[in-house]
Amino acid sequence: MIKYIIKRLLLMIPTLFGVAVIIFFLMRIVPGDIVELRFAGESAYAQKENLDKERVRLGLDKPIWQQFLTWIGGLLRLDFGTSMWTGAPITEEIRLRFALSLQLAIMATIVAILLAIPLGVIAALRQDTWIDYTVRIMSIAGLATPSFWLGIVFILGLLIVFKWLPPMVYTPFWVNPVQNLAQLIWPALAVGYRYSAVATRMTRSAMLEVLREDYIRTARAKGLWEKLILSRHALKNAMLPVLTVIALEFAFLIGGLVVTEQVFNLNGLGMLFVEAVGHRDYTLTQALVMLVAFVFIFVNFLVDLTYAWLDPRIRFR
Amino acid sequence: MTDVRRRDAPGVPRHLFVLAAVSIVMLLAGRGADAQERPRYGGELVYVVPTEPASYDGHREGTFALVHPLAPVYSTLLRFDPTDRTGTKVVGDLAESWTVAKDGRTYTFKIRRGVRFHDGSDLTSKDVKASYDKIVNPPADVISFRKGQYTAIEAIEAPDPTTVIFRLKWPAASLITALASPFNWIYKADILAKDMHWYETHVMGSGAFVFVEHVKGAYWAGKKNPSYWDKGKPYLDGYRALVVKDGNAQVAAVRAERAHVQFRGFTPAERDSIVQALGPKVTVQESPWDCVLLVGMNHEKKPWDDKRARRALTLALDRYQGSQALSKIAIVKSVGGVQVPGTPFATPPAELEKLAGYSHDTAKSRAEARRLLKEAGVPEGFAFSLKNRNVPMPYEPVAIWLVDQWRRVGLQARHDFIESTKWEADLREGNYEVAVDTQCSYAVDPDLDLYKFQSMGISGNNYGRYVDQTLDDLYQKQSRALDAEERKKWVRDFERRLLDEEAHYAYTLQWHRIIPHSAKLRGWTITPSHFVNNQLDGVWLSE
Repeated sequence: MIKYIIKRLLLMIPTLFGVAVIIFFLMRIVPGDIVELRFAGESAYAQKENLDKERVRLGLDKPIWQQFLTWIGGLLRLDFGTSMWTGAPITEEIRLRFALSLQLAIMATIVAILLAIPLGVIAALRQDTWIDYTVRIMSIAGLATPSFWLGIVFILGLLIVFKWLPPMVYTPFWVNPVQNLAQLIWPALAVGYRYSAVATRMTRSAMLEVLREDYIRTARAKGLWEKLILSRHALKNAMLPVLTVIALEFAFLIGGLVVTEQVFNLNGLGMLFVEAVGHRDYTLTQALVMLVAFVFIFVNFLVDLTYAWLDPRIRFR
Repeated sequence: MTDVRRRDAPGVPRHLFVLAAVSIVMLLAGRGADAQERPRYGGELVYVVPTEPASYDGHREGTFALVHPLAPVYSTLLRFDPTDRTGTKVVGDLAESWTVAKDGRTYTFKIRRGVRFHDGSDLTSKDVKASYDKIVNPPADVISFRKGQYTAIEAIEAPDPTTVIFRLKWPAASLITALASPFNWIYKADILAKDMHWYETHVMGSGAFVFVEHVKGAYWAGKKNPSYWDKGKPYLDGYRALVVKDGNAQVAAVRAERAHVQFRGFTPAERDSIVQALGPKVTVQESPWDCVLLVGMNHEKKPWDDKRARRALTLALDRYQGSQALSKIAIVKSVGGVQVPGTPFATPPAELEKLAGYSHDTAKSRAEARRLLKEAGVPEGFAFSLKNRNVPMPYEPVAIWLVDQWRRVGLQARHDFIESTKWEADLREGNYEVAVDTQCSYAVDPDLDLYKFQSMGISGNNYGRYVDQTLDDLYQKQSRALDAEERKKWVRDFERRLLDEEAHYAYTLQWHRIIPHSAKLRGWTITPSHFVNNQLDGVWLSE
């Protein structure tokens, strides 16, 4: 087991290096130049002298390979450098937004799990009844409804009906839980509903498959209590694909809620990502991609480890 | 010149008319009240800023995103009169008074006594000189965004703590306007002497408000400066500028009264939505905006090297009908020349009418356009690309209108709606035939507004790629004419050559600034520039 964990952890290094190479060169291919964007605000004319000074300051006058080595050297020391746009340390830029994105991802995941697992199980147990059909309609509607659209509906509903809008500035949970939840519950519901749709369908189909397995029939034949059969034998085994879906979706939520963050005016990593790309802020975009890649890889790693607990037949080699 | 009334389009629901009427009444009542009521002290003004700047240094930035949240913290030597709707009248801020030598080459400013920086130190002429030295003659590693506007300055002197003298190489008609730039914040000389880059990451001024904090991506906050030199001001206890990047969220913030105002501007539809929701609780101020979309024609590509073809493009436009139609859906409205209508150097309507494409007789203009195209050898149905940036408002509706107008003289324009960065690069490199270009200034002033149109090589953003010595001479003449009437004449000559005789560029419609704000907000007047009148020292909340 320990050997397997070490092997998996070591495998992260070439994966992350590959991501680093790809994102570094992709950013250089994208048309546009941070220096010109930086000084062409409000249609103003940027003097060449200013552009040249800024390029030197940002190290963009150096050969690409040198820029790459400098950046990779920094990564190896866990030094992400400074944002080319703001000049602030990247760790500071990310720290400001990470708490919000993480909390929103956790809250949306909780909403999704609370909806998906009971509904998926019930739909599977009551297959082809009105309950099943209702759950299926709900989940298909969830899949077909973008979370940002649902977010807009929430906002308009609150605005028109209650003449109220969620707070526009993030307050950490430990500072003011009411204010914090008043802001984040709405995006969590909007995102969680869509997220739950995927998980509900996965739970339902996995449960249906498991319920037809021989060992379930055997359990029933030997007179095991139905609740025990469902919770210990069926649900636990059906959770393997569901867990994968939930975990990957969670990783996506960390940096992928761009439009939802815009709609709810959330100062999260998704907005930062879009701005960084829009500004051609190479260092910040690269750092964010590395962060999201790391989250994806790490979450996958955790899922693999959880598989063994859920299914003892899985052994690590 | 500003329009404080709301005109609703035919077909607009009746309740909107009623709400509009209510808002007019409220506005007029509010205006009167502003003049008569005693300002109320207290309260926090909450406003929305749609974007954020890269650094905190006004001297190196060019975006309103810096001015809106930080102008209240700083003082400038001069400023635009916050009660002047034209946004062109300059008054003293730190300067108590000033004199101009007869030859127009020496400006002497008396600096107010008793002004203090927020760290408690006195602000003197030494600080003004150090700040302007940084702007006019920055060290090699320091960027001064508007350095090019101060080329006339030969030397800046501070002979005593309350006197600053600007000596010029030649008379400069726009110097006073340039010294009122809302970006030219006065920094502390001692700090600049130690570190010229300090203000890029720190905030410390002498303005009506003291900087409290900036949480990136979230908000800026400032609190009342009890030691402000203008005794009795500011009225507010503080301000909070919320960073709200999404347009719908900005509207929602004002609608839900989470913010009193957004100082840049809203679209007609957004205005109507806010007025409909808030009724008498909202006041709408409108003004022509010192921004305009232009038709750029690449003089290096045929047939746009021929002025007959270029004239045809401007002659085809029915600007007056366009104004009526587009102002209902987009942030454009006034038909104007090279200066914002209603401002001192604006083109009188009778003269405007004489320029190509500005006649009310559109049929005659279009017949002339067809004749010119034929003469220039441009065939019926000639197809070309109109490059435009993918910013919906107002670029998209204006471009669609242009395509329609040109179709009426037998031209087929293909609207290429491309990513902003690519659009900018294509314009700069001359990789286009015809494009939607833009001009926006921080203040209405001929030097600022006409600079772009000088020959390629002098102006770095003349994307028409032409060289016109006559136009350059006219620019210099207007720029050095200290007599306003003489300057007007040169501006008119410049305009005639630019828009009519050579038709280097075609102006579309002036942008239109629409600010629906909480009726509680008093003491703030809209101007044609969204860069000025953000110091908030005279602003108050009625409840």
